[in-house]
Amino acid sequence: MRNLLRMIGWGVAAVLCGALGVSAMAQEKTTLQIEGSTTVGPIVDEFTEAFKKSPDFKDVTITVKKTGSGDGIAALIDGRCQIATSSRFMKIEEFEKAVKNGVMPVAHTVAMDGVCVVVHPSNPVKGLTVAQLKDIYTGKTTNWKDLGGADRAIVLISRDTSSGTYESFVAFVMGKDKMSDKAEYVNANPQAHSRVATTEGAIGYVGLGFLDKQVKALEIGGIMPSRRTIQSGKYPLSRPLFLFTNGYPDLGTPIHAFCTHYLSEKGERIIDAKGFIPVTNY
Amino acid sequence: MNIPWRMRANSVFTVVALLSVLLIVASLLVILLPILWRGGSAVVFRGTVEFRRMQLEQFQRGDTAAVRAEVERAAGVRRHAYEIIDRFSAGLDTAGLETKARQLHREFGAQLRNRNLDDDDIFDLRELSGELRDEFLAALESSDNAEALGHLETILSRTDDERRLHGTLAAAFFDMAREYRDVVGRVDLSHREEYLDSLQQVKEAMQNLLGPQSSERLPAIVMEQYGATRWDQAQQHLDHLLWSETWVAVVPGQPLVKTRAPMEERFAGTELAELFPYVRDNAEAMLRPEWTFYWRYFLDDSMSGHYFGGVGPEILGTLMVTVLAILLALPVGVITAAYVVEYGRETVMIKALRMCVNTLAGVPSIVFGLFGLAFFVIYLQPKLGLPQGSSILAGGLTLSLLVLPVIIRASEEAIRSVPPSYKEAALALGASRFRCFVTVTLPAAMPGILTGLILSMSRAAGETAPILFTAGVAMGPIPTSIAQPTRTLAYSSYDMAVGDKMAMLAPHNQFGMVMTLVAVVLILNITAIIVRGRMARKLRGR
Repeated sequence: MRNLLRMIGWGVAAVLCGALGVSAMAQEKTTLQIEGSTTVGPIVDEFTEAFKKSPDFKDVTITVKKTGSGDGIAALIDGRCQIATSSRFMKIEEFEKAVKNGVMPVAHTVAMDGVCVVVHPSNPVKGLTVAQLKDIYTGKTTNWKDLGGADRAIVLISRDTSSGTYESFVAFVMGKDKMSDKAEYVNANPQAHSRVATTEGAIGYVGLGFLDKQVKALEIGGIMPSRRTIQSGKYPLSRPLFLFTNGYPDLGTPIHAFCTHYLSEKGERIIDAKGFIPVTNY
Repeated sequence: MNIPWRMRANSVFTVVALLSVLLIVASLLVILLPILWRGGSAVVFRGTVEFRRMQLEQFQRGDTAAVRAEVERAAGVRRHAYEIIDRFSAGLDTAGLETKARQLHREFGAQLRNRNLDDDDIFDLRELSGELRDEFLAALESSDNAEALGHLETILSRTDDERRLHGTLAAAFFDMAREYRDVVGRVDLSHREEYLDSLQQVKEAMQNLLGPQSSERLPAIVMEQYGATRWDQAQQHLDHLLWSETWVAVVPGQPLVKTRAPMEERFAGTELAELFPYVRDNAEAMLRPEWTFYWRYFLDDSMSGHYFGGVGPEILGTLMVTVLAILLALPVGVITAAYVVEYGRETVMIKALRMCVNTLAGVPSIVFGLFGLAFFVIYLQPKLGLPQGSSILAGGLTLSLLVLPVIIRASEEAIRSVPPSYKEAALALGASRFRCFVTVTLPAAMPGILTGLILSMSRAAGETAPILFTAGVAMGPIPTSIAQPTRTLAYSSYDMAVGDKMAMLAPHNQFGMVMTLVAVVLILNITAIIVRGRMARKLRGR
């Protein structure tokens, strides 16, 4: 019994010593902390993967956290991360808070993403106008029958209110009107996708990369979302994805390399492969 | 109540009790069995040649010569399938030409930079080549013969530019335009659209099934560099290749109905039709599935967002955070319990303390997470001179707060249930109160304390919310110190479910992760139970 107590005692002592001792060790390697949007996450993951293999970044450790655009920006303001990923631009309040904290946010537009309105593939409706979409989400239109579909109640699926995708959608479709109380909130693209794919009569919105056979994308104002229509600006519901840094990163630093990777050909191919629209055209 | 009624009530109670036990067992099975079964498929599965190639190239594992030979053999069978596709798509598929045009423009840019030219000239020429490329791409995109010819004529009419570009790479644009003009003269482009979409589907399914062709440019992300690594995955992709799913309107105004038709039918009468029976009959020879026991799943790092690889760092991270939390919470919890039971009298303060502990036990875990973020990560870490951001230390501290109430309550009960005669005997022999507690009461209470430990350990290992803001990262290196953040099993399986399509593309890996978490908790528990059993036996003097 004494032995056990002694062991516990030693364990605690070791842990505490470790905690103090490692702080110096941890700083030897440069760490690059990235935090924020789940939507931008896949791009950042693959960039990190690419950087891990590069010999120039042997001494850099990169950590990625994906909890939401707002969390990333908050972390940047607090100095808990060097790069915040976000699927929306910073809000005025966030900007003010950042500047007060001595953080000057600089946005790097890493890629473009379409917000695609999707329905169950059994739905005969082919497309909607923005006004129709707004009526659906405000709760004015409640049955597909009124839109030329089958007699079936509309199930509203929306992303949660803290997501950048939600804010882009609201800004574009809803304007100042409130979303219907009946809307069901899900917290990420895959959940929205699977909810729509399994519910006849559901309508939701996901990023371009989530279009597949299991859901059907709708034309908005007669334009089908696709790489080309989004890139050319014809498809109305698109938005830029951002990396935010504190000031423009110094040249030659890992942060600079990371934030400009999207401009390289390799970066473009990664963004393309992940289902987003690159801003470059090699 | 008379006796027959009592007997009846008794048997009803027995039946209800039995039923509830059965219900618990059944629900455990319903929850656990699928997790273990499907999770097990991450470790034991029929791995294809693509899996072995991936292991060799990404993890430097396996016999190079043997794998190469196997890849060669599989490639021999695949070649014929690719030949069929190439023959069919020669006049039809413009994607290849598109890639070529883009590449040409890029290479031309590189060529210009190497030449000794004026900056303005470089800019002009590059812009010119860009214009030619865009015109050519427009021609490729068009499905109208006249329109496509128009675009091509625009290129070919620029004879001045052709002369200017003579001898450079960009001159090839004119050759390509000429070639394509011949194709446009022969083929009805409006017809092309019918096949093009289906052909694209076929090509995608082939790419998913077999990986990129060796002649192709290597895809930018690792997960696309290999075909189906598992036979179950391969069969899904095969299904996509052989069957086309469409939703058709049977009754107007009614929901569409899903119909499946063999792809073969869609391409009936064309050269491509023979591809489907060929792939179907030779799928095994193309992929060479073999039963694989991938035990390194529990050690390997993952890549491409958990698409390939294992859960090694996650297991390590989970253990580190859990053990740290227990190491921090156990001494504090036991000492608190000892104080409350042995030293403190039933004063207002003790009552208040107990109430606080009970309240703490009911606080949602996300509140602990946010507290940990605000206090440990943002406030305490900079004070201690530790690096900014989440760390195992902060996560351990947060989790220790989370499990503290359980440990305190369990220890309190355990200490209280030690028979007073033990204590009285020790005190009568002249032991001080402290000595009596350390040498007599605590050992006797240890089995009960360990029960609390088991409960709290499982809780700590499985929590996501407190880790989310304090210790967890979705991607990062294997931690070498507790000042660094870590991946954990619970957080990583959450991460797989949000953001990317990983849970859809690699469900086995997500199940595998959850299975590992269940297994880790189980192993921790079994260890603690064995230790507890030993202790209890020792106490009984055996």
